[in-house]
Amino acid sequence: MSTTLVPDILSVEELTMRFGGLLAVDRVSFEVPRGTITALIGPNGAGKTTVFNCITGFYRPTGGAVRLTTHEGREVILNTLKDHNIARAGVARTFQNIRLFAGMTALENLLIAQHGPLHRATGFGIGALLGISGYKAAEAAAIERAAEWLRAIGLIARADDPAGSLPYGDQRRLEIARAMCTGPSLLCLDEPAAGLNPRESDDLARLLLSIRDGTATSAAPTSILLIEHDMGIVMRISDHVVVLDHGKKIAEGPPAAIRQDPHVIAAYLGEAEQE
Amino acid sequence: MAFSAALRDAAKATAIAFGLFVVMVGLRTDVSPTGALFLRTRWTELAMVCALVFAGRLAIGLWVTPRFLTNAGGSLAAPLAKAGAFFGMGLLVVAVVLPAIPGIGRYELDLAILVLTYVMLGWGLNIVVGLAGLLDLGYVAFYAVGAYSYALLAQYFGLSFWVCLPLAGILAAFWGILLGFPVLRLRGDYLAIVTLAFGEIIRIVLLNWVDLTGGPNGISGIPRPTFFGLPFNMSGDPGTFAGFFGLEPSPTHRVVFLYYLILCLALLTNWVTIRIRRQPIGRAWEALREDEVACRALGINVTNTKLTAFALGAMFGGFAGAFFATRQAFISPESFTFIESAIILAIVVLGGLGSQVGVAVAAIVMIGGFELFRDLDEWRMLVFGAAMVIIMVLRPRGLVGSRTPTVALGQKRSIGSDYVSEGRG
Amino acid sequence: MAYALQQLINGVSLGMIYGLIAVGYTMVYGIIGMINFAHGDIFMIGAFVALTAMVMLVSGGLMEGPAAILLVLAISMAFTALYGWTVERIAYRPLRGSFRLAPLISAIGMSIVLQNFVQVSQGARVKPLEPQLPGGIELMREGTFVVQLSYMQMLIIASTLAVLAIFTWLVTKTPLGRAMRACEQDRKMASLLGIDTDRTISLTFVIGASLAAVAGTLYLLRYGVIDFYIGFLAGVKAFTAAVLGGIGSLPGAVLGGLLIGLIETFWSAYFSVQYKDVAAFSILAIVLIFMPTGLLGRQEVEKV
Repeated sequence: MSTTLVPDILSVEELTMRFGGLLAVDRVSFEVPRGTITALIGPNGAGKTTVFNCITGFYRPTGGAVRLTTHEGREVILNTLKDHNIARAGVARTFQNIRLFAGMTALENLLIAQHGPLHRATGFGIGALLGISGYKAAEAAAIERAAEWLRAIGLIARADDPAGSLPYGDQRRLEIARAMCTGPSLLCLDEPAAGLNPRESDDLARLLLSIRDGTATSAAPTSILLIEHDMGIVMRISDHVVVLDHGKKIAEGPPAAIRQDPHVIAAYLGEAEQE
Repeated sequence: MAFSAALRDAAKATAIAFGLFVVMVGLRTDVSPTGALFLRTRWTELAMVCALVFAGRLAIGLWVTPRFLTNAGGSLAAPLAKAGAFFGMGLLVVAVVLPAIPGIGRYELDLAILVLTYVMLGWGLNIVVGLAGLLDLGYVAFYAVGAYSYALLAQYFGLSFWVCLPLAGILAAFWGILLGFPVLRLRGDYLAIVTLAFGEIIRIVLLNWVDLTGGPNGISGIPRPTFFGLPFNMSGDPGTFAGFFGLEPSPTHRVVFLYYLILCLALLTNWVTIRIRRQPIGRAWEALREDEVACRALGINVTNTKLTAFALGAMFGGFAGAFFATRQAFISPESFTFIESAIILAIVVLGGLGSQVGVAVAAIVMIGGFELFRDLDEWRMLVFGAAMVIIMVLRPRGLVGSRTPTVALGQKRSIGSDYVSEGRG
Repeated sequence: MAYALQQLINGVSLGMIYGLIAVGYTMVYGIIGMINFAHGDIFMIGAFVALTAMVMLVSGGLMEGPAAILLVLAISMAFTALYGWTVERIAYRPLRGSFRLAPLISAIGMSIVLQNFVQVSQGARVKPLEPQLPGGIELMREGTFVVQLSYMQMLIIASTLAVLAIFTWLVTKTPLGRAMRACEQDRKMASLLGIDTDRTISLTFVIGASLAAVAGTLYLLRYGVIDFYIGFLAGVKAFTAAVLGGIGSLPGAVLGGLLIGLIETFWSAYFSVQYKDVAAFSILAIVLIFMPTGLLGRQEVEKV
């Protein structure tokens, strides 16, 4: 797709997923160009979530390959990794039904996201137990990074409140901030606008654009892949749209082109016409 | 409740009680001298039990409203949680000066040692169940590994307590990893039942491997601990504790020493737990308890994180086991039955998962209370079990259900139990 | 060959008893998602009620033989069911919807209560009962070794099959069974649809306890000795059986029970009696590690 020399951040090749006899995803290929917001859309049951779960390692695909090229230019074949290693390779995700650590504070949530580097700084738990320095500095840096993200999502005042006590919209943004605290190359969002009111949706759109452009915090610009039902937000913020239907890719392109695509219109409206 | 309604309610309860007790209390089978069974009737006892149920139920119906029941524990917990730090400090001060308090004799110290052993076991298991949310019903296995490690190492290699103590901990941790590795990906109740099975397997092996462990006869003559090389005895030689320090030889010395030993071990457990909780690994344990799937999505190696919790918990169990062996000088598989695991787990849950102070209080109440009822003999376990049920019904989240954050930008505020998850793993 | 056949017979009859207890575990687990830790002790209560009833009938000279056994079975089921109901009402119902470890601890407490209640009220001594149904049919003879199917074993197999048939009918064909399955799927939805979930759960305990009472009675008649502690080990093994078969699955519980019974019997016969429990527990661990949902359990798809 991309004509530049910079490799795409993510390339999905001939991805196939079968549950028993059900072919949920059938040889789907697409790319997530670097520095873009790419939306994965399609009617219910199109296989979006399955593709998403294959990319983020929660399912192991039956066939095909998922390739990530990180910020540093390292190429990783995701579909051979265990799930926590996918996150370490640079793919962060959120969940459709928010999965924050409800009994822990917003700040703690963001610190857990930085577990890997922090844990190494403690000498895997042993050094810090004995009071060896180095961890203190690492923790201070982690807290600073967390605070930066809390400011970016406007929750700095509630840093010490349990995540479960925050309003729904705040929880959504906190989950995105948590994913970003892992320092990902690619941020994957599973229906981030679900259940948000129009104002919260606007806030979310601004947040996502600032994450893409690297203006939200001092973090580098981060490419985004999202599944979304809310077409308004998809058309407004996406640079690139991939449309799935019945487990197959039926269209791909910029939002304006997708809006006109007869296949897409048929896929979304076809069922309605028959009724 | 209106009197007539309460009366009807009590009558119903009595009818049920009659049904329950008519066979089990009203009748009793006994073995006659010829070996055959014969039946005895105890209608008076049956009538008494039924009358008791009637009176009790009537009293509850008339004077105790459900509201009172739900508040009963709240009044106790709020100050406990609030003054947690003060309360903990107070307990610690009492613990440190306990042997010097007038009126504390050998019996009281022995009891205190017992309570502290359970405090330590509770804190050890708290790492596994309270922080990491892994339901372990076989914790006693590691206690047994620690005890037998010390007993066997001392018996076969003549190693001293101070060499064996760390070894017992390491061996227990090793067993924790060995047993934990294959099963830690199991969820919730499966994990519970497999750990229970492991606990039983270890006990059965100890019971039947007579050549090594002495089987049901156990191991006796386990060396008593020395004061860093100075034995406790009554001879008064310069080479003994009393002689070296120029004290009048007294059997209390050893008890006091054992008391401080277990106090130190328990405090070590506490110190390590509190410290680790504020570290990435400790936070990862709690995150795991809250949501395992989210942990995986954040790049946390779930298996390794669970294993560290399991191993660390096992290690403290092992320390406690070695202490138990040296204190008793005799161990047998009988000390490591499932009921021990259940009691330790009950202490953790009654105290409030993850709460250090709560666990200590629960251990004092349960073990101390158990000792208080020692005159009840065989009724004692009955009361103990009933207490477990009643406390759970009144306070399902334990004494301290809230959680203190490990880090804060501003003021640390404790988090109510409504938000804190109990873990599924 | 003959020896193996005899072990097969013994293993099946023991497995039937485990299976009956396992059904109670699996039903309760299916419907409220908790390990009813006191269920093994309900089984023990069933055995004690049966013992008392048996002694009363026989020593009173009222009845003898198969008719007495049937009556004892009925008495035991009735009284034990009341215990099952009471345990649920006192220790579990107040904790419904509460956090998950609370009912487990309460169940362990209840198990301690039941054991010690029986110890206090019936004494700690082992109770021996002389065989009520001696004899059997000779199936095969190999040298001096005689393969025998005792009348008692026939009774165990026949009554287990009969009870399970009634039970299967109850769960699959009656409104109560439908209500139970509905509660198992989604308790909140079931209550919205007008199912009295409290009553359904109570009835689940009542049915589970009566099945355990059958197991207790058969155990008493087959082995002839009981004490207040038999519930623990039988309970753990039956739970193992339920997990082995796939918890929540009723046929799985019976299958698991049979397997545990067979493994235990064959292990004792060919390897070592002392380590028979180790064999049963090791199989459990191995099955769970390689087949985490048991033999007939539903595969749980993790929703994210």
